[in-house]
Amino acid sequence: MKTIAFGQYYPVQSPIHRLDARIKIILAILFIVCTFLCKNILCFAALIVAALFLIFMSRLPLGTVLRSIRPLIFIMIFTAVLNLFWTTGETPLFEWWRIRIYEEGIYSAVFMVVRIIVLVLGTGLFLTYTTTPIALTDGIESLLSPLRVIRVPVHEFAMMMTIALRFIPTLSEETGKIMNAQKARGVDFSEGGLIRRAKALVPILIPLFVSSFRRADELAMAMECRCYRGGKGRTRMTVPHLHARDFVALVVMVAFGAGILYLNRLGIGYSVP
Amino acid sequence: MATLTLEQVSYVYNPRTPFAVEALDDVSLTVRDGRVTGIIGHTGSGKSTLVQLLNGLEKPSSGRILLDGEDIWARPKEMKKIRHRVGLVMQYPEYQLFEETVRADIAFGPRNMGLSEEEIAVRIDEAAAFVGLELSLLDKSPFDLSGGEKRRAAVAGVMAMRPEVLVLDEPAAGLDPRGRDTILQGIRRYADATGSTVVIVSHSMEDMAAYCDDIIVMAHAKVYLSGTRDEVFAHADALASVGLDVPQITKLAQLLRARGVELPQGIYTVQAALEALRPLFQ
Repeated sequence: MKTIAFGQYYPVQSPIHRLDARIKIILAILFIVCTFLCKNILCFAALIVAALFLIFMSRLPLGTVLRSIRPLIFIMIFTAVLNLFWTTGETPLFEWWRIRIYEEGIYSAVFMVVRIIVLVLGTGLFLTYTTTPIALTDGIESLLSPLRVIRVPVHEFAMMMTIALRFIPTLSEETGKIMNAQKARGVDFSEGGLIRRAKALVPILIPLFVSSFRRADELAMAMECRCYRGGKGRTRMTVPHLHARDFVALVVMVAFGAGILYLNRLGIGYSVP
Repeated sequence: MATLTLEQVSYVYNPRTPFAVEALDDVSLTVRDGRVTGIIGHTGSGKSTLVQLLNGLEKPSSGRILLDGEDIWARPKEMKKIRHRVGLVMQYPEYQLFEETVRADIAFGPRNMGLSEEEIAVRIDEAAAFVGLELSLLDKSPFDLSGGEKRRAAVAGVMAMRPEVLVLDEPAAGLDPRGRDTILQGIRRYADATGSTVVIVSHSMEDMAAYCDDIIVMAHAKVYLSGTRDEVFAHADALASVGLDVPQITKLAQLLRARGVELPQGIYTVQAALEALRPLFQ
């Protein structure tokens, strides 16, 4: 129990945690669409307010949520720089040698960064932080089930996803154990050049592969023993039901999208194409 | 060759999150020089955490760990040296084997220490002899060995580093009785031959009674009892209250003594009981 047992899931009670997983997937998609609909400064302000509202509703500590952005800092800086220097407009604000910065460039750089942050926060808050991976894959399976008509093996995909998700914490724990075992035998992963460091990974990767294959074999055997034969005719332990709150959430999200579209048409300030 | 001391050590997993778990709570103990010390306790009593603190794989949340009186975290950059002095065999160590041959795998630790090839060769043979690995097995792939042999090869890999303190987490877990005896005898042989300090973590009272000099009982993240084997097993009631038990043969000896059979105190193995009882029948 060293690492958080299941991905990023953060077990607290909140209105968002209680929503149905399928609805949350749809909400996340709608929210992503909303971030891409945003064109002007009013929209982005509304988007930031919406994101803060979501954080508040999810009852997650602000620090935990903000930490999820940290791995993206490089991408954000990269896109910001690209937008800053490569967006052209009417009159340059600043000019030196071949570098010209326009007001439009600053706007689109800021908008892009806000968009990325809100995108990550939104999907995290609707999906990974507030929904258990099992509920999530069940939700995906349920949403994709119409595709069964055209013979897409939806259940098999969902099962593969469930298994993959299930083994992330197991494998990360295993990696930690093997790393510790090899550290105890005197490997140092933080010293030497690139080649030495890459070589130091061999004693970790080989045992990890060996144990992954062993685990996969054992799991397949255990599933066979319990007569697993795919999704046909299989019933669920928990059958999800939609509640009034799910519809309310959906209506609020659609209204938010409509609001964004309206704000776009006001045409205040710079508007990204 | 070395004494390990823990001073008021606490360890919390995932501090300041909803997942916070206190694994060790104000633990102070001493592992005496040149003795085989057994650390015993139930699942979740903090044994495995304790083991990872001993060679600096984890840093205690508070408190100090002293190796021969020196704090092992005094110079974190030189932790590698500490790990050469305190050898750790983790639970199920057979899963760390990776080399093409058993010989190369045992050589991995000594090679990381920067020893000469001649010295490494000597140490491989020595370590293989301690754990009872036949020389013919050394050139096989570690993945072709049986479970017990793999375990012994992994233990030999750490013994070959000749640590001053050898720490083993559940070295006999999941082995059949013969495999268990082989490995524990090998560890005892190593301790007696090299005079190293050895720490064995286990939840089997029978094993601890048969192979250890000192015993530390952990319960609920604290040290519950500690002392020599005789001292700890004298507290049978206290052991029972944390779900541990004295070995069955010791219980039998106590019952016989209560019925007037003249037996010495401190019978922990069937062999010892046999020797004590034999004169009575002659």
